[in-house]
Amino acid sequence: MFKALKKKLFGESNESKELAKSRLHFVLVQDRTGLTNEEMAGFREEMVKVIEKYFVIDKEGFDIKYHRLADTTTLLINSPVIVRRSSSAAAAARAVVPEEPVEAEAAVASNI
Amino acid sequence: MSTRNNTGTGKKDLGEVIVITSGKGGVGKTTTTASLGAALALRGQRVLVIDADIGLRNLDVILGLENRIVFNIVDVAKKICKPAQAIIKSKKSNNLYLLPASQTDDKDVIDEAEVRYVLEQFRREFHYILVDSPAGIEQGFRNACAGAESAIVVTTPEVSAIRDADRVVGLLSSKGIESRLIINRIDFEMVRKGDMLSVRDVQDILGVEILGVIERDEDIIKAANVGEPVVYNQKSKAGQAFTRIAARVCGEQIPVPTFDGGSLWSRITRKLGVNA
Repeated sequence: MFKALKKKLFGESNESKELAKSRLHFVLVQDRTGLTNEEMAGFREEMVKVIEKYFVIDKEGFDIKYHRLADTTTLLINSPVIVRRSSSAAAAARAVVPEEPVEAEAAVASNI
Repeated sequence: MSTRNNTGTGKKDLGEVIVITSGKGGVGKTTTTASLGAALALRGQRVLVIDADIGLRNLDVILGLENRIVFNIVDVAKKICKPAQAIIKSKKSNNLYLLPASQTDDKDVIDEAEVRYVLEQFRREFHYILVDSPAGIEQGFRNACAGAESAIVVTTPEVSAIRDADRVVGLLSSKGIESRLIINRIDFEMVRKGDMLSVRDVQDILGVEILGVIERDEDIIKAANVGEPVVYNQKSKAGQAFTRIAARVCGEQIPVPTFDGGSLWSRITRKLGVNA
């Protein structure tokens, strides 16, 4: 009942725009970097490996974005860290640390 | 944003050249060029709109001037006629002129240097020169960008149009041309339902300043049918939107309407058909 009302009020559908957004992010990263699908996947895999060397991360939330501002282009790598690997035992004993997204930013040359 | 100085302070009085482009075809470049040109003219600015879509000219029919064409941009570039002979005054305004494209040539019949030469012939006569670019990113696009100080990139809130807009913004940026964005044919009801990208979504994705937002509006089609820019119909939402865009081009600070969601109460009243 509430769901139906919510649907009526908010026009909740499958939110096709969310799919549009994620598809756009996908093609734009390719277009802007000039990397192929495989190269992008390889880059992602290697990045995950490097971060996992030092942190336990939530791979589901791992995300690479490519932001173009006025005169610089920035690679935004968002990797939710569950816990620091070196102190994982101690941290686990205390409590589960909530996911804290750590944003690693790397400025890449402009004019891509 | 606009650096143009119209106050007559003795600075070099050359018109500002703005290219209207999009990458993808059919998103509203020509309509935008005609309507923005007419809106600027209504503000008392002297405006020249140039159709750079050689071989597929359309700006003439949008302005209702198709039966007055004698010479065109190629004739000016090749010095076949005097520049003043090629421009056509619009029916509705003494401030708005059209330089039509040639319909019988190819895009590569003129090059960027020739476009710059053409622009120089008119920059002293006009406050604004709007260049309507062809779709694509080939020679026709490069010609349209030659000599432009800034760009207006037109897109619709669709994946394909935004992708192409992104490509074009990147290409313009590599030429040192800054882009501003017009989002055309947005449907705020669909945005509210989550079935269309919102103004903010598009801005976040492209990272470009939004110059204006135009709602999907039947009046644009009617205006095109009769060959009068929609801005002369101030009852139409699109006409009002172009008036605001012209004000922003002239440097006025007017907020861009986004209608992203709205308050819960406004959603309820809208749903119930109450005009709150």
